[in-house]
Amino acid sequence: MSAERWKDDEALLESLRKGTPGAVDELLRLYQGKIFNLAMSILKNESDAEEAAQDVFMTVIRKADTFQGNSAFYSWIYRICVNTCLMRLRGKRRNETVSIEEFMPVFTDEGMHASPMDDWSKEVERDALNEELGQMIRKYTEELSEKYRVVFVLSDVEGLSNEETAKILGLTVPAIKSRLHRARLYLREQLSRYLLEGKAG
Amino acid sequence: MNCKELAYMLADYCNGSMDPRLREELDDHLSRCEPCMAFTKTFRATCEGTRKLREAIEYAIPAEVRERLGTFVRAAALKYPEKMREYRDQIERDRREKVADLVSAATAGKLSSASALLMESHCAACPECSGYFDALRSTGTPPAGDPPAGIRSHLIALMQALPPGEEFFLA
Repeated sequence: MSAERWKDDEALLESLRKGTPGAVDELLRLYQGKIFNLAMSILKNESDAEEAAQDVFMTVIRKADTFQGNSAFYSWIYRICVNTCLMRLRGKRRNETVSIEEFMPVFTDEGMHASPMDDWSKEVERDALNEELGQMIRKYTEELSEKYRVVFVLSDVEGLSNEETAKILGLTVPAIKSRLHRARLYLREQLSRYLLEGKAG
Repeated sequence: MNCKELAYMLADYCNGSMDPRLREELDDHLSRCEPCMAFTKTFRATCEGTRKLREAIEYAIPAEVRERLGTFVRAAALKYPEKMREYRDQIERDRREKVADLVSAATAGKLSSASALLMESHCAACPECSGYFDALRSTGTPPAGDPPAGIRSHLIALMQALPPGEEFFLA
């Protein structure tokens, strides 16, 4: 994270604690887009994300003066957001997500690739911003169970480091790396099936 | 290194954080294994594709949601300090009452055995508190007003040292 953001956050936290007029406006200006985006990525539903965002901001305002400051302010806010969203998901019957195991690469007992590999990388590079392909990637990302999706969203969408993501989720760095890798392997496999089927059809 | 191991090392390989000796070994495997080459290229393309789509999968906050959320949070934030003050006043009133009860129970010798013990050992070490209570006991009249701030904070600490649910005076 940039030093500038760090400074902004420090000043914001200080003014929230003091109850300076305009502090809440500044909090909203800096974070409402990010929090809504993160809540949407996890909850995938606009009204749920809106309610979650309300809860997140109320928690931040209530707890600003007890925030310890041993982690960065933004990572504290993200953590509140992730916890709020996961609690909401637990309260609901969640949609059946695709099993990630089914989409892990398959190897023989000797650890060799069990099936032939097609190289479709050129197609993706060429069409990376193609709308249909974009839709597919988005769909596959949303199909990930929340365990993987949250990690994937924080690191690949929010651009946080593994260390930052680990802190927010209260997991170890190796656990983050492993989930992230599995999420990517899953996406590769899904894309592979999608592109090859498209070719066959 | 076999194909399976290679597949699980790709994250470090792609982000450049891999140990150079392992990288050499991996490159060597890649140069001899066509499926792994295809796998690696498509894995990289997947990561690249999702990274490029970062902007596209951003859920922009709709204007009306922004509006509603802002109104809600601002209104709640304004009410919050008021509510907080109410709670704090309530706590302060309760505490003042308890301190007064403790002082009169101590003066009248009606402390429970646990709190009498606590009070005794505290007063033995604290001239301020023992002086205060000695004076009260000698006159035998309940004190007017709150005890001085220093003594008050000691008494609060004493009450907090009691086990939860335990009353500090005899019924």
